[in-house]
Amino acid sequence: MKGLLLFTCFVALTSAAWAADHGPVFGYATPVNSQYEWSFDTGIFGRAGSHGAQLSTGSQLGYGLTPHLTLNAFLPGTFGSASFPETRIYPSGEWTAGASWRFLHSVTSVGRRTEATGSLAMVLPGPQKETGVLGQLARAPGLAGTLATGFASRSSYLWLGGGYTRFAQSEGDQRPDTLSWSTVYGYRPARLRRGYDQWDYRGLIEFTGEHTGNVRLRNTVQAGTGTTTLWLGPSVLAIFKNIAIEGGVQGPIYRDVPQSIDGREAVRFAINFSYLKYSAHANAH
Amino acid sequence: MKKIVLLTLLMLPAFGAQAEYRKVSLTVFGMDCAPCAHAIHVSMKGIRGVDKVDVDLNTGLVVIQLIPGNNATMQQFNAAIEKNGFTHKDAKIVAVGKLGGTPAAPYLEIRGTADRYALSPSGQPADLTGLSGKTVAVSGVLPQVAKGKVPERLTYDSIVEAQ
Repeated sequence: MKGLLLFTCFVALTSAAWAADHGPVFGYATPVNSQYEWSFDTGIFGRAGSHGAQLSTGSQLGYGLTPHLTLNAFLPGTFGSASFPETRIYPSGEWTAGASWRFLHSVTSVGRRTEATGSLAMVLPGPQKETGVLGQLARAPGLAGTLATGFASRSSYLWLGGGYTRFAQSEGDQRPDTLSWSTVYGYRPARLRRGYDQWDYRGLIEFTGEHTGNVRLRNTVQAGTGTTTLWLGPSVLAIFKNIAIEGGVQGPIYRDVPQSIDGREAVRFAINFSYLKYSAHANAH
Repeated sequence: MKKIVLLTLLMLPAFGAQAEYRKVSLTVFGMDCAPCAHAIHVSMKGIRGVDKVDVDLNTGLVVIQLIPGNNATMQQFNAAIEKNGFTHKDAKIVAVGKLGGTPAAPYLEIRGTADRYALSPSGQPADLTGLSGKTVAVSGVLPQVAKGKVPERLTYDSIVEAQ
């Protein structure tokens, strides 16, 4: 157990880059694990555009160290050789490991809470090379930080979040700095506010955006390689006790990308499965 | 009258003079979804002596029924909520314990635990003359206290001898 925890500490990424669990599937959110809770997420994420399609799989392991501090590790796998802009809000080829700390937690009434969570993670190059222009760069680790805030209730959810990722230089190459942000609204209709032994559904609208800086190649900043994109789309989350299934799709509402390099990305989709293992450990008296 | 009949029924298995919590109803703030309720259910069931747990997401009410002979403590119930990131408010309890102190300043001791509560009436004080030192069945409300703490005072609705 100790070894696994250490592994989590050293290899992990944060849920920063990928919310899932029982939050949104694309955007940032505040939930963290309960104390001693294990969470396992796995999903399929797709991007398609004029320069091809790419499918990623990703698995995330989380462990609640305290009621407000969760350690996370994310292991990815990518398929396809399409060229797309850098993204940090969407799973890509890096391993990540880190921690999420819910530093604000205010419960004001039955079923309602307001909270804020910050995450910090190491981003490490995975075994697979990136595709497109990113695949030409010597790889180096990076650091990702995110901040999310919002409220949850029996009827509505609202989360605002942002993240920043910076990679180190390697052999004169550097992946672009990435600034990501999201706004997510969720709603559970009155007739679906049922007992916890029945399926729990909610619908979400997820707005995400990213701005990436220019790529540095052989000590030269490649002007015109920066991108800005905005995405919007619905997702649905279904939960039964400790199992969650979520799916969503997003379309672009704004794209400022060098089309000769990255093409025109047209759609993103995600399907995620979560398993939550809560602890029955009780304090002795 | 209805309350006394209900309490008597709940206390029937206690007439073996066991002293313990029989039923604890906690209002929990912050649970919004099924995993929240499931987490509370799993945590409560992990406490030795807990027989049945019902969680109502819409009212935030967590009702715990315990088996006779248990020695579960209020601190365990509170911790089960806190470790899941939620907050507990007032708790209604039905418990059997030893009545100590004087009729003017009575207290309840839950045997097998370190839980001890000063008693104060919610309405008209009960006549405690002759109950001192005896095993009694009490129903009442424990107020909300800070995390990690257990209340010192129990506001009782009724006290009857449990024999």
